[in-house]
Amino acid sequence: MYQFINKYLKPYKWTITLGAIFLTAANFFLVWIPVLIRQTMDRVEQLNIEQLEELSLFDTLFNSAQGTILAMNALYLVVAVCGYGFFLFLTRQTLIVASRKVEYDLRNDVLHALFSLPSIFYSKYSEGEVYVRATEDINKVREYFGPVIMYSINTVTRAGFVIAMMYIVSRDLMVWALLPLPMLSLFAYWITGYIHKHSIIIQEQYSKLADQAKETFSSIRLVKAYHKGELEQRKFDSLNEEYKEKKLRLDLIESLFHPGLNFLIGISLIIVIWKGGQMVIIEQLSIGNIAEFLIYVAYLIWPVAALGYTTNRFQKSMASWQRIKIIFEAYHNLNKDEGLDTINIKGNIEFKDVEFNYPDATVATLKSINLQIKAGTKVAIVGRTGSGKSTLVNLLPRLIEPTKGEILLDGVPLKDYSKRSLRDCLGFVPQDHFLFSDTIEENIGFGIKGATTKDIEWAASKAQVRDNILDFDKKFKTILGEKGITLSGGQKQRTAIARAFIKKPKILILDDALSAVDTKTEDAILKSLRNDEQKITVIIISHRISTIKDADYIYYLEDGKVMEAGTHEELLSQRGNYKSMYDKQLIEQELQTI
Amino acid sequence: MANFLKKAADKTLIKRLYFYIQPFVGYIALAIFLSLAAAYLGTVRPKLTQIAVDEYVAFDDFKGLFTVILLLFGALVGEFILLMVNTYLTRWFGQNALYSLRSAVFKKIRSLHIQYFDRSPIGRLITRTTSDVEALSELLSDGVVAIIGDLFRIIFILYFMFIMNWELSLVTIAILPVLFYATFWFKERVRISFLKVRDQIAHLNSFVQEHINGMKVVQLFNREQYQHEKFQKINQKHKEAHVETIFYFSIFWPLVEVLASFAMALIVWYGGGRALMGGVSFGVLLAFIQYARQFFQPIRGLSEKFNTLQSALASSERIFEVLDTEHQIDSPDKPKILTNPKGHITFNNVWFRYNEEGSWILQNVSFEVEPGQHLAIVGATGAGKTTIINLLFRFYEIQKGNICIDGVDIKELELSELRTLFGLVLQDHSIFTGTVYENIALGNSNISLADVKKAAEDVEASRFIEKLPGKYQYQLQKQGSALSMGQKQLICFVRALVYNPLIMVLDEATSSVDSETEDLVNIASKKAMKGRTTIAIAHRLSTIQDAHIILVMHKGQIREVGTHKELLSHDNGIYRKLYELQYKDQSVQV
Repeated sequence: MYQFINKYLKPYKWTITLGAIFLTAANFFLVWIPVLIRQTMDRVEQLNIEQLEELSLFDTLFNSAQGTILAMNALYLVVAVCGYGFFLFLTRQTLIVASRKVEYDLRNDVLHALFSLPSIFYSKYSEGEVYVRATEDINKVREYFGPVIMYSINTVTRAGFVIAMMYIVSRDLMVWALLPLPMLSLFAYWITGYIHKHSIIIQEQYSKLADQAKETFSSIRLVKAYHKGELEQRKFDSLNEEYKEKKLRLDLIESLFHPGLNFLIGISLIIVIWKGGQMVIIEQLSIGNIAEFLIYVAYLIWPVAALGYTTNRFQKSMASWQRIKIIFEAYHNLNKDEGLDTINIKGNIEFKDVEFNYPDATVATLKSINLQIKAGTKVAIVGRTGSGKSTLVNLLPRLIEPTKGEILLDGVPLKDYSKRSLRDCLGFVPQDHFLFSDTIEENIGFGIKGATTKDIEWAASKAQVRDNILDFDKKFKTILGEKGITLSGGQKQRTAIARAFIKKPKILILDDALSAVDTKTEDAILKSLRNDEQKITVIIISHRISTIKDADYIYYLEDGKVMEAGTHEELLSQRGNYKSMYDKQLIEQELQTI
Repeated sequence: MANFLKKAADKTLIKRLYFYIQPFVGYIALAIFLSLAAAYLGTVRPKLTQIAVDEYVAFDDFKGLFTVILLLFGALVGEFILLMVNTYLTRWFGQNALYSLRSAVFKKIRSLHIQYFDRSPIGRLITRTTSDVEALSELLSDGVVAIIGDLFRIIFILYFMFIMNWELSLVTIAILPVLFYATFWFKERVRISFLKVRDQIAHLNSFVQEHINGMKVVQLFNREQYQHEKFQKINQKHKEAHVETIFYFSIFWPLVEVLASFAMALIVWYGGGRALMGGVSFGVLLAFIQYARQFFQPIRGLSEKFNTLQSALASSERIFEVLDTEHQIDSPDKPKILTNPKGHITFNNVWFRYNEEGSWILQNVSFEVEPGQHLAIVGATGAGKTTIINLLFRFYEIQKGNICIDGVDIKELELSELRTLFGLVLQDHSIFTGTVYENIALGNSNISLADVKKAAEDVEASRFIEKLPGKYQYQLQKQGSALSMGQKQLICFVRALVYNPLIMVLDEATSSVDSETEDLVNIASKKAMKGRTTIAIAHRLSTIQDAHIILVMHKGQIREVGTHKELLSHDNGIYRKLYELQYKDQSVQV
């Protein structure tokens, strides 16, 4: 909390101060409106007694001394009203605009932290959770901090002026008029809290409803085959019914909200008329005073209700702030990225008794891994889904750090290199071949700073995707993703490969990156790698035997351990898991070629 | 606005929505009556104030004043109760209407033909059932009634003002044209800047979403700095869009306040003048000051509500589009009934493609399976194996030829009757959220726990089920369940068997299973097939060789038919080639 104020509000302290002054000025003008109305009415009462001659309406308003007095009062009133409006405008332009600026700063900082956080952070929190923190929670912090500042200043200054005026005019009537107001504040506090709590419950029920729809629609074939439609309908309807019930429970309280506020406001006004009326009769007050008090009470209602509303909301925004803080804390615990350069490395890699387990996981993902990868060779890693292949290659760019053992690059522990330079020498094509919703050009050029068209075309043709891209209307300017076109799986993979190629890496890691590419194209891509003058180290994960059979060395992984290792021929003669995998694929292949 | 009127004029849309609200028409009438009464009680109070001042305070009548105060209090309490009851009442029938609409949309979608699901992303179907229905909540509940209530209020305020003093009333409403003009000016500008804000929010959120998903790539390519700069630009635009909106609101809200106070100034000036001439009493002035404030609220409310109604109508259009989708596959009007079905399946020259322009998925496919026979289908991915099963279940309609069961075209059978003939086990071991028992019985009340247990014992699934906490009451989740793939598949087998189906259909039911449960699944599939007409798609030739008939499919055509032995005797046959590849190192008895 203190942190938030210190870091995000301090830069705007002058804007906020100015806004506070404007708001005070606005409320100062506001309080003159009822005062002027009272003065006018009192004036009229006075003049009424003195007045003897009969005048026309026109003359009364424009051609008489009394008319001038009235017009002057009305003019003052207009001045007060305009003053109020003007300063209210300035308040909004300072305070609310400042809240958007705070939000802007906060968003930048959160994203900055997110860009720096390691994979471990992202494995601890789901993508959805991180997303909510980086969007919804920021909104909540702004939504409530912004109004909290504005409403607090407003409540204090407006109530100050109004109560001071009430005190001056009539202390007795003041007490009576203020009597129901604390109730109003409590009522707003209670209702807001209740609504918030129930909205969460309703949201959960809503998700259940959506989940049920998803379950039914996504296994529709089975639902129909088993004639299960009626059952699904019953399940959906019972959730639907529950949703309705929960909604109605909230509706019950919500139906109390506006009528309740209206009632409490009404009570204040009636008290003013009643007590004020009595005081007029005993000639303590004038009718003008009643009019004045009626307006005062109306002025107080919103700030007083807002008091309850904002206190409640403030607590919620604190909860959001706590969630955002976790991101900042993780960021502050990061070490500075320092270490050796990789400019002159050759690309010899060695794994020494490497073990890895995810935090909170009971079983290690990788167990005592020992690998030797010589510079310039091509090494393949195979194994079933979940055997630890991807985890193994994720260790190289230090996306994750081994929990035991060490990895050497040219004989130097990976930890001694800076992450930045380590990643610079690696070309990594991840399994999910993630591309951004941007132009193809941007996506391929993502690999290096200031990529030229020539570089991009070179990488694309090396990855065998150039011809496909040139077939698009906008060629390399084609936008991908939601707003653009959808590439086929193979095209996506090849684009991701081009993105890695453009870096001209010393070490290339293909994490199942060719699965959707047909064998012919795959061959061409792999050959283009071999044609390079400078031989690069290639680590390739694949399910496809054709991809890996001519690798210099093959590791077969199961349950996080290297079970079999050797060249293709060696592994076949071992007649182990590799062999049975090979046989299975041979059949599939034959079937395809018939 | 014009758009709204156009849509509102679309009578069919309104009429159809009315269908869902129609059961509550009596309550709607009541709600309208209640808002009329509440509007009266809410607006009569300033008038009562005038009476209190002019008739009692002016004549020093304490008792009279107290009487009016009691009346005022009564009106206030009355308004409170009426408003509360009315709000709840409208919400109540609104929620009920939403309930039936949601249920109807779900029912419609789930009963649509499979091809509809092929075409529509699941996400969109979920949106139709949930958020699109939700968007109608105001329209169907307090929206329309509240608009009527606001109109009543305006009418009553005008009425009370005019009966007190028509001149002063005209002075008060003189400010209205300015207010209307200001509101429209504001609405138009705010609408445009709101659209900008919406775009920027979407832009910002999708950037964040995408970069959280692709964080690994960003970091691998050392692009943190650059992408952050990109984000700052988007963030900047987002801020600017908001600041622009703030500007319009900064003008509008103070302006509304100024106009309301300006109306008061006019009342004081003109009314004061009139009062000097004795034409207007102080009570009237007091009442008018209150009416001037009250008058602006319903006007503001009206313009806001029109907006929500507009977007509600857009949602309702999308919903009715779904409800209007035609069923492409329906049971015949006069279905034939299979008395004592045997399980004889014939495909006669069946041709199938998904649509007119598409290429043929199946070409001239014919085969016959006698009751109790086992048919195995082999072929590469995309050869049309699964299509045969889909057509047998009549998930799709064939273009040429016919499919018969016991000599009756499946088009002439009741869909539910046709589908209860089969037990189906798919490759993806589908598990639903629910207990083990529920996953097997699938809500069929004729299937007791004992039946489920017996079926589970038959395929030896009972062994692992008994070990689960809660056994048959163990809760399964669609994803992330503690069961292995093989165990899930065993549950699917039990599910298929418990119905004791006439025909068993296995779509690669024994593939993608871990080695530990592989044997169990194989045993289960053998038990499932025993004594039943069976159609099985399988990868492993070992599960196929006992089949009575083997179909070798290729590119939508049947290339070879025969028993294992017959097919092996074709020297250059596809099947033989496959078999040799798989077993070249093993000696298998033929």
